[in-house]
Amino acid sequence: MTVHPDYPILTERLALRPFSRGDVDAVYAYRSREDVARYLFDPPLSREECAEAVQQRIGQIAFELEGDKIVLAVDLRESGALIGEMSLIWRSAEARQAEIGWIFHPDHHRRGYAREAASALLDLAFDKAGIHRVMARCDAHNIASARLMERLGMRREAYFRQHAVVKGKWDEELIYAILASEWQRQREPALDANLRRFPPLGEAR
Amino acid sequence: MTSFSLPIDTPRLLLRSFQPDDYDALCVYQPLREVQRYLEIPIRDKADVLTSLNLMRRQVSLQRPGDTLTLAIVRKHDKRLLGQVSLRWADATASQGEIRFALDPRHSGNGYASEAVRAVLDLAFDQFKIHRVSARCDGRNHRSAKLLQKLGMRLEAHYREHALFQGEWDEELHFAILDREWRRSSKVRDLPVNTPRVA
Repeated sequence: MTVHPDYPILTERLALRPFSRGDVDAVYAYRSREDVARYLFDPPLSREECAEAVQQRIGQIAFELEGDKIVLAVDLRESGALIGEMSLIWRSAEARQAEIGWIFHPDHHRRGYAREAASALLDLAFDKAGIHRVMARCDAHNIASARLMERLGMRREAYFRQHAVVKGKWDEELIYAILASEWQRQREPALDANLRRFPPLGEAR
Repeated sequence: MTSFSLPIDTPRLLLRSFQPDDYDALCVYQPLREVQRYLEIPIRDKADVLTSLNLMRRQVSLQRPGDTLTLAIVRKHDKRLLGQVSLRWADATASQGEIRFALDPRHSGNGYASEAVRAVLDLAFDQFKIHRVSARCDGRNHRSAKLLQKLGMRLEAHYREHALFQGEWDEELHFAILDREWRRSSKVRDLPVNTPRVA
């Protein structure tokens, strides 16, 4: 299987497109922040590290071999401003597994942008790449990220307590996942109305 | 890691290292489909059982991360081999361990596996000072899931269709317990709480 999406991927308010060399400053604006790095494995990045990261991402635009990553810049269509990044990693060819992730500039949180971008990438994973299950993980303290996973209709599959040491502290991790069939069902309007009437247990808490 | 002495003595069992003459008893249960899923190596025939026995005979202590200690579960009164239980030391920094166990199905339902796993949890936390011990089982293996939950292990993960095993979608449960949770449960009996399920 090879997956070469057509770029940009457009949503109502966003454009998802490959990174380019001019994106370093915009990436540095959020990856240098302590409040962004708190829930990532990496510490805040220097400008040089951001330049390296952007350089690496320029080529991460397709699935050809297991382990390949698609990492895209997320632009606001209206202004063209880069507000964050989305990733989709091909974890297993045999079992058709992928992992989705996102990082957004805090100035652009709470507007539904991450949800909009993640929905587009889940469409890509299930429709174009034929993936069977997409998982996502986040630090157990990262409430905003966990809530987004639940809003996307992902189920909480794991809560690992003190299972590793990250940056010298006990790590606690949540794993969410969604199957192709679950994503498909969610896109059907009649069932979607039912989902609103009977929200997933996670949203009630 | 500190030394410990074998065999480990529990009310009805002895946990000892594997011996060459355990081969026949292993041939009865190791190749069973439901058993081999969680063994270290795939076991399809008697030659694989021999490979497995030789591997287990070398797993006699935990010296460095990645090491596994494997013990034969033997019934005291008739010295019969009932199954196996092992502890893997996974991560030195975070001091993590993983328990695996398998029992000859002819002897299941008597609490033997539970008795053996309890003894290995004691060993993990008291002797080896492990911080967190985890265990996995197939999502359809209700007996193992119940056993782990009864020992006080929390359900931390329920993976659905995350992998293929022998051509079928797999469903996997992960259980875990922290050192302080294990110590407390041996002295204090908590009131039943309605813990939310993971999945």
